[in-house]
Amino acid sequence: MAAPFLDMQQVSYTFPGWPPVVQGVDWDIAPGEFHCLVGRSGCGKTTLLKLAAGLLQPDAGTVSLQGQAVRAPGPGTGFVFQQPTLLDWLTVLDNVLLPVTLQRTPTDADRARAEQLLAQMGLSAYLRHHPRQLSGGQQSRVAIARALLLDPPILLMDEPFAALDAITREELQDELQAMCRARGTSVFFVTHDIAEAVYLADRVAVMDAGRIRHDIRVELPRPRGRDLRYGADFNAICAELRHAMDGEGVA
Amino acid sequence: MTKYPRLFAFALLIILLLAWEWAVSAFRFSPLVLPAPSVIGAALLRGLQTGYLWPHIAQTLLELGLGLALGVALGFAGGVLLGESPTLRRVLMPYVVTSQVIPKLALVPLFIVWFGFGTVPTVVITALICFFPLLENTLTGIAQVDAARLELFRMLGATRWQTLWRLKVPAGLPAILAGLRVAVVLALVGAVVGEFIGASKGLGALIIAAQGSMDTPLMFAVLLLITVIGLLLYEATLWLERRLLQPYSSNL
Repeated sequence: MAAPFLDMQQVSYTFPGWPPVVQGVDWDIAPGEFHCLVGRSGCGKTTLLKLAAGLLQPDAGTVSLQGQAVRAPGPGTGFVFQQPTLLDWLTVLDNVLLPVTLQRTPTDADRARAEQLLAQMGLSAYLRHHPRQLSGGQQSRVAIARALLLDPPILLMDEPFAALDAITREELQDELQAMCRARGTSVFFVTHDIAEAVYLADRVAVMDAGRIRHDIRVELPRPRGRDLRYGADFNAICAELRHAMDGEGVA
Repeated sequence: MTKYPRLFAFALLIILLLAWEWAVSAFRFSPLVLPAPSVIGAALLRGLQTGYLWPHIAQTLLELGLGLALGVALGFAGGVLLGESPTLRRVLMPYVVTSQVIPKLALVPLFIVWFGFGTVPTVVITALICFFPLLENTLTGIAQVDAARLELFRMLGATRWQTLWRLKVPAGLPAILAGLRVAVVLALVGAVVGEFIGASKGLGALIIAAQGSMDTPLMFAVLLLITVIGLLLYEATLWLERRLLQPYSSNL
């Protein structure tokens, strides 16, 4: 097995005046792996993701990326938020180019790369549109293209598809899976949807009350397609995961 | 009525003017008190044709323009500064609020002592009046940026300067432009009332002069001019707002 790539050891975090949100979490992600983090609302999933991103600094423990301690957020990590967080006043193309334009003047190569990412997402016809003219699913695609522009080795995603309808969500899951596998991008994906977690992940972390209670490997063949969702293996793992989420406190 | 609201609004205007015209002749109002619309129209036309009104219009527009530019620039800069620095906001906000509670028009006599008679005191009072709505709205606008977008900019390694100019100001633009709309209307009031007290040229000064010579039709004519200027300015601001905010709305 490859050396851990994102490595979190005994990570804890407390908002002042509240009980700890994240307590003693150990988790590591190998290059190219897709991990999901599931749990009920308020269990500390988003906080753990922000710790991994460097948006928050742990009170105790360490977060390191490729052997380097993560001390501040940086463009080397891709982050996709719950909402697409596009800038209304920029065109779709300029939104995707934002990670570059904040650092330097974009070159033709940057533009070509942004256009290619948008083409892979089926958005070639919308380069000059503004975000408000797009559907929710299209906005999410633009946000993913933006996060992938600098080809980050790891992508952190915080329930990016939670607000979408079921069919759009399945399409986006397939597109995300294809894009990340093609690039060898590691993904840490927060969701509360059990089927989504099983469909996407190599490994699922079940979180409750700030701790990771279960670590479930999903040994399903890749690439995964629509038929997989109705197979017995898939449903068995979903049931196992559901049971793990219910059984908390006992485990 | 609901199908052609503008047509009915215009028809109402005609009816009111006709009723006014009729009432003046029926009740024999003295033109000193209430001149008929036809008399006012004639006075306005005469003033424009002889060139008597133009220098006054130009003077008021000059003061309005300068005062608006100065007040808007300072209000925007102040809003950005106070929005970016909580310390500065806590220290200076009480002073800003106090400066707004003072009836500003009461300061005109003082400004005449300081700046002399004429353009400067009116420009200063106009600037002072439209400073506050811009400051207030800029402050609120740039504070309204949602947390996720701020985190996005942190993730992308944006500097504070970039976060301000490429996120907070554009995100606050709708609020800032709403402040501008208020400022434009207030600026006209500031310029005209400033001229009442501290000037011998300009539409405000002309109203006072017309009052002195008991030329009520001229007073009404000037009032009409001021109203037209106000409406045009307001429409221009609305047009600017629609243009700049086009990408912010979903229906293009």
